[in-house]
Amino acid sequence: MTGAAPAAGAVIAVRNLGKTFTRDGRRVEAMRGFDLKIAEGEFVTVVGPSGCGKSTFLHMVGGFEPVTEGELLVDGRKVRGPGPDRGVVFQEFALFPWRTVAENVTWALEIAGRPRAERDAVAERLLAKVGLTQFRQHYPAELSGGMKQRVAIARTLAFDPRILLMDEPFGALDAQNRELMQEDLQVLWNETRKTVLFITHDIDEAIYLADRVVVFTARPGRVKADVRIDLPRPRAIEIKKSTAYTAYRNRIWDLLRDEVLLARREEG
Amino acid sequence: MARPPRWVGALVPLLLVAVWEIAARRGDAPEYLPAPSVILAELGALVASGDLFVHAAASLYRALGAFAIGAVTGAAVGLAAGTLRAVERFYEPIISLTYPVPKIAALPIVFAWFGLGDVSKIVIITISVFYPIYIAAFFGAKGTSRVHVWAARNMGAGRWQIFRRIVLPSALPQLFNGLRVGLALSFIVMVVAELVASQRGLGYLIAFSEEQTRFDIMYAAILTIGVLGFAADRVLLAVRRRALKGQLLATAEAR
Repeated sequence: MTGAAPAAGAVIAVRNLGKTFTRDGRRVEAMRGFDLKIAEGEFVTVVGPSGCGKSTFLHMVGGFEPVTEGELLVDGRKVRGPGPDRGVVFQEFALFPWRTVAENVTWALEIAGRPRAERDAVAERLLAKVGLTQFRQHYPAELSGGMKQRVAIARTLAFDPRILLMDEPFGALDAQNRELMQEDLQVLWNETRKTVLFITHDIDEAIYLADRVVVFTARPGRVKADVRIDLPRPRAIEIKKSTAYTAYRNRIWDLLRDEVLLARREEG
Repeated sequence: MARPPRWVGALVPLLLVAVWEIAARRGDAPEYLPAPSVILAELGALVASGDLFVHAAASLYRALGAFAIGAVTGAAVGLAAGTLRAVERFYEPIISLTYPVPKIAALPIVFAWFGLGDVSKIVIITISVFYPIYIAAFFGAKGTSRVHVWAARNMGAGRWQIFRRIVLPSALPQLFNGLRVGLALSFIVMVVAELVASQRGLGYLIAFSEEQTRFDIMYAAILTIGVLGFAADRVLLAVRRRALKGQLLATAEAR
């Protein structure tokens, strides 16, 4: 089941990656030795039961959590910390509440000392792209969850990272907004074709967006299956009703079911 | 039910003042409770002679000067301790040990060191004000959201930029609570220090009026302290509202 075609010149390359951390004096093995390769321009989604370490994996690629076992390479170099080559979109949005929407979007440019005119132009372009032009002077607290996540995505696109790391970005949204955001993201990705690592617990979302769906096992998490999604692009949302889509859905759910049950038993 | 108009809140205090006034005029009130009208008249006389401004200026100079020093040092050390482990390990035990000690107990020592002038008063007020501001800044910095720091690092921010642009604004709501406590404390300690030893200031005016058994002057001085403290607090709250504009929108205060 495991092992889609390993891509030559992978942007993200993982070898025998493991992660152990200490919680309340107890050693917890979050992940255990797995391999994964993500090629330039690929959209890879990761699904797995809760607590399987899929978010931890993204945090490691982002450079926030240290690697404790194995190897994690981005562009052939060991990850030593965060960097603007890997733009992260967090589940909690992580917008700065003391700054307006436009000031959030241009934060990275301001840090880099870019001139005002350039920042204004970038804010205008990206806010138009995510449909929030009229909200540029608002504060995050005045926005809905879906709007906040669009600002967060615009903020990440503002520094033009090669790789997008998205940690359950639509997890906090209601079902309708989530579907709309999936569509928007798909359109956006078709324009830019950035490499994307996208964590989710939503199988529909995982299939709809991805070139490959990676299924994680229950803790300690590792790659259980790597499913290539051969659905034509651009994908309309109606593709979720197609027989090919349903077949993927059933297959991935079958793979996931045992792991979810296992994770549940451990929690109980 | 309709909301009662705002003046309703003033009804009880006004009634009390009226009872006080009548009782004092009829001679039913003790000597230490002169009529409000007498107090206001004395206040007017103090304003007219310019004496009140001399004393108020001396007091404000000490209280606000010390508050400013205490605010800057308290915030700086508190933020540093909340950000850097080494600073925290150094300061936390010292703070724990010295915080419960009443600073005013050190007044004789401070007088012995710095004399009876303005410096000793500013020193004792600064020390008193430092603590609540330090503690607010410390916990404010500690409360910085991890994901905000991660987002900032992701966008290429260095340590100093994270401190200035993430930790500082994150700590600001808490810090303002500490500043507010510190500001009130600066007035309290100012009066106490002036009561003990001074030739000028509103605290001195109270001590002086006690010697002269002029209770009208005493109340005028207390009233002035209250009004100045109130005004200072209002200014601080206005600054806070501006500084925390975006952050307050997410709180119950926005409604």
